[in-house]
Amino acid sequence: MLQLILFNLFNGLIIGAFYVLVSLGLSMILNLSNVINFAHGNFLALGGYLAYALIPFIGFWPSLLVAPLATALIGYVIEVTMISRLYGRDPIYSLLLTFGLAFMLQDACRYIWGVNGLPLSVPNNISQPLSQTYFFLNAYRLFLVGIVVVSVLGLFAFLRYSRMGMRIRAGILDLDTVSALGINVRMLRSLNFAFGIFLAGLAGVLAGGQIGLNPNMGDTLLLPSFVAIIVGGMGSLVGTLLGGLTIGVAAALTAVVWPAGSDVVVYIIMAVVLLVRPRGFLGEEGMQ
Amino acid sequence: MSAIEIEGLHTYYGKSHILHGVSLRVAEGKLTTLLGRNGAGKTTTMRSVMNLTPPRQGRVTVFGKDTTRWPTFRIAAHGVGYVPEGRRIFPNLSVEENLKVPLERPGPWTIPRIYQLFPRLEERRMNRGRQLSGGEQEMLSIARALLLNPRVLILDEPSQGLAPLIVRDVFRIVSQMRDEGISVLLVEQNVRMSLEVADHAYVLDDGAIVYDGPAAELAADEERIQALAGATAEEWQEAASA
Repeated sequence: MLQLILFNLFNGLIIGAFYVLVSLGLSMILNLSNVINFAHGNFLALGGYLAYALIPFIGFWPSLLVAPLATALIGYVIEVTMISRLYGRDPIYSLLLTFGLAFMLQDACRYIWGVNGLPLSVPNNISQPLSQTYFFLNAYRLFLVGIVVVSVLGLFAFLRYSRMGMRIRAGILDLDTVSALGINVRMLRSLNFAFGIFLAGLAGVLAGGQIGLNPNMGDTLLLPSFVAIIVGGMGSLVGTLLGGLTIGVAAALTAVVWPAGSDVVVYIIMAVVLLVRPRGFLGEEGMQ
Repeated sequence: MSAIEIEGLHTYYGKSHILHGVSLRVAEGKLTTLLGRNGAGKTTTMRSVMNLTPPRQGRVTVFGKDTTRWPTFRIAAHGVGYVPEGRRIFPNLSVEENLKVPLERPGPWTIPRIYQLFPRLEERRMNRGRQLSGGEQEMLSIARALLLNPRVLILDEPSQGLAPLIVRDVFRIVSQMRDEGISVLLVEQNVRMSLEVADHAYVLDDGAIVYDGPAAELAADEERIQALAGATAEEWQEAASA
């Protein structure tokens, strides 16, 4: 029983780690650009597929960095050419645009790489289980958790200590004043968007190595990641982090006693949080 | 060359016509003040200069460049320091972080020099913006604009809501900036103190300029000042056009 709980706890941590990567990116984009990026899950899939295409040429490890960077670059171009034109309008416009982009990216992946799933091969030396009793612990999964921890710490350090990070945090509450202080806020938003997409691309590569690739692979992660943002509190990235881990672990632990309920529990948590503390764990009062 | 030249500005908020052809000029190296009662259009004029509220008609020239259609950040990067109404401190950032947000234009102003001028800000450097008093927030807002190393500084009602003693400090610093060679456009409701420090004065009412002349001349007209300082809109208009 203990082993089963540990197994599910660890699984929950892995799923939570994916929710964290996806929801942090979504949250950054939502905070600074007021755009709900419905295409986020498809950027994730694109990251996985780009890694698949790159691995034969440059190997797994470099692809882990290059594929998310390439995804971020595509995201940057899309933000500059399309999404940025809708800033200042009713959010429904950008919502519809990203909704359309989601279908386009998904079909692009289908067209190039086919409708069936593809395996993303992980180097042999990290895919073996580390012990017989704890068969679920293999080096890849530990490594996956490690990568997520490092990226999240890196992101928080960047936002906390770099001038650009300070400008992003300032812009979340008052972008006009940041602009009036001479900062190119168009560029700031574009780069911030690209950072968010980088995290999605990274999640795509890591998820590909874990469960394989398919054109819809981001969809199952997207909705719970929105839930993570709401549960954690709008406007707070630490809240998003906690929200992602909470629902990941809660879903996995529910699976021990009630396997069918593991999806539902995510939304039950959201409902309870909204009823008891509508602004979420760490949300600012009055954030829209 | 003028620091700022505004010609025939018409600005709307939605359908309401706020500025009816405002023209004014901020001479280089001088302190120009723009006075007027609440709702006269002073803040709208400043927001139009920064293109935060784009004017529908008219032209803004900053140091010889037509900036009317420039995005706000480009106008600021051209050398316009802006201290907005209500100070607009970033409440979630520390004092020091607030000071690191502005673009680093080369020039004499650095964070250590800011701390020399405002020792209080150094004492509170790790505090969040939302924890500061009104006076400290005003200092921070001015400091933040100075770190851009502006050639012209726009201050929108810096004395608003401050204790009289702190208002003195603010006006002392503003005239010190002019003595440093920064052109200043000071928007105020505090008529007497503004005229004390200003070289040139404009009075705005109902979205149009009703006085344009040396500050000393307006300051000498005690009757008019009394009328400007506390009056109803009708009395005010009468006094302004007298």
